[in-house]
Amino acid sequence: MTSTRTTTHHPWLAAGLVVSSIVGVLVGLAVTAAEPIPGLPEPAVVVRVGLPIVRVLLDMAAVVTVGLSLLPLLIGFDRPKLAEPVLAGARRVAMLSALVWVVTALVALVLQTAELRPGANVSAASVFDYIGTVGAGKALVFVAAFAAISFGLSVWSVRAGESVPAELRAAVALFALLPLPVTGHATNWRWHDFTMISMELHVMSAAAWTGGLGAVVVLLAANRTLLAHALPRFSKLATICLVVVTATGVFNGAVELLVNPNIPLLEALVGTRYGVLVLLKTACLVGLAVLGAKIRWRLMPAIAAHRSTALVTWAGLELAIMGLAFGFAVVLTRAPVS
Amino acid sequence: MRALGRGLAALAVAALATVALAGPALAHNQLVSSTPADKASVDSGPSTIELTFDQPVQAGENLNSIVVVGPDGTGQWQGGKAAVRGNVVSAPLRPLGPAGDYRVGYRILSADGHPVSGEIKFTLTAAGTGTPARAAEVAPTTGQAAAEDDGGVPVWIWIAGAAVLLGAGVFLALRVGGSEK
Repeated sequence: MTSTRTTTHHPWLAAGLVVSSIVGVLVGLAVTAAEPIPGLPEPAVVVRVGLPIVRVLLDMAAVVTVGLSLLPLLIGFDRPKLAEPVLAGARRVAMLSALVWVVTALVALVLQTAELRPGANVSAASVFDYIGTVGAGKALVFVAAFAAISFGLSVWSVRAGESVPAELRAAVALFALLPLPVTGHATNWRWHDFTMISMELHVMSAAAWTGGLGAVVVLLAANRTLLAHALPRFSKLATICLVVVTATGVFNGAVELLVNPNIPLLEALVGTRYGVLVLLKTACLVGLAVLGAKIRWRLMPAIAAHRSTALVTWAGLELAIMGLAFGFAVVLTRAPVS
Repeated sequence: MRALGRGLAALAVAALATVALAGPALAHNQLVSSTPADKASVDSGPSTIELTFDQPVQAGENLNSIVVVGPDGTGQWQGGKAAVRGNVVSAPLRPLGPAGDYRVGYRILSADGHPVSGEIKFTLTAAGTGTPARAAEVAPTTGQAAAEDDGGVPVWIWIAGAAVLLGAGVFLALRVGGSEK
């Protein structure tokens, strides 16, 4: 294992994840597009399309930050010499992704303020007013604050190395995921307690799953020793995440569809824009389960034996599907059941 | 395939649990009923459009609006601004004109601050004598007035500012990170 091989990364996989998440948003918007009624005030295009795109970029920054802060835990601490060059790169990227996280949270705040009163300009006072009166505004402030703490920790870890506890970095990053789902359109009030816990678990699992896969494949694919060590650990994490994402996703989707007083479940599933998005996300999940199984049972034995495999291709496909699911999710949290 | 099997098992359990627990639960910011009802046929228009939601609607200047569009797709038949009373948003309706399908579009602010929009339809079976207001006369009143007085700037300026902030942040962060070497 030469040192040049350990620096062969696959950043285009991460780019594929982000691009496919934006594609997911655009497809989701196309699916949910409604013919506007003349005279009804509508937010400008920059808000209608920009807000979901900024939200999905926020999600992607969160996913990358979470994944990179989980990476030291997946690699373990028993091969410091081999791991250090990889982890040094991971810490620098985590610093930048946490910064993107902070800025996208602030932009989302401005865009949501603009969405409230179509046609009006946005002043600092109206943003503060939005934060004061609307729960989603406070949530975004908390996200920005926690992401800023995450950024601070990552700057510190860039300077001080792995002596900054990886558990702390991962915990802060995961904690910063929590405020947004609490206030989203996706939580509903009669079932609020259950759907809220379920939604939090859904978001944290999805972020750990996607981020973990991305970090392992992008940074470790060229390093057979570390990969043979980290992939089986990640695989356990991924299995748990898959189960949690499925259970919580079905629960939340079904609750949102069932509580609609006017439309029966099956009709709501195929006939409403919300239902179609739920079906698209289910299709993504089935695809992810199949690809995950392929990697777990076909590729992992070879990887554990330090043989070369087509992991990058398969994992790249899996990341692209995950990106689509994140894109759909952003549109879904904003779509009414109609 | 075991992961898939497990996933499907979890899916089945969750689906069963959901069905077992399902009751007449109330949903988040959804339209429950309306006057006139969705897809109803009426022989004369009511004096007010009333939309009833399952949760209180947040009242505020220019936050909630109802528009009524006639069979020709352009005429505006609502007679004024929408008013909020608890769960009910209402707007006066002008005397209706030609028979045909009328569309009622709404955009309201739900209790948690999420704007929700949607529409219902009703059919007028007997032509009336009313005349619509033109779309151009009604639309500008919704946002323009608020745009002048609050001293705000368009959204894209905020976004450009954020991009500059991000660029500066990345530059500084890389400087900090680079100084280690």
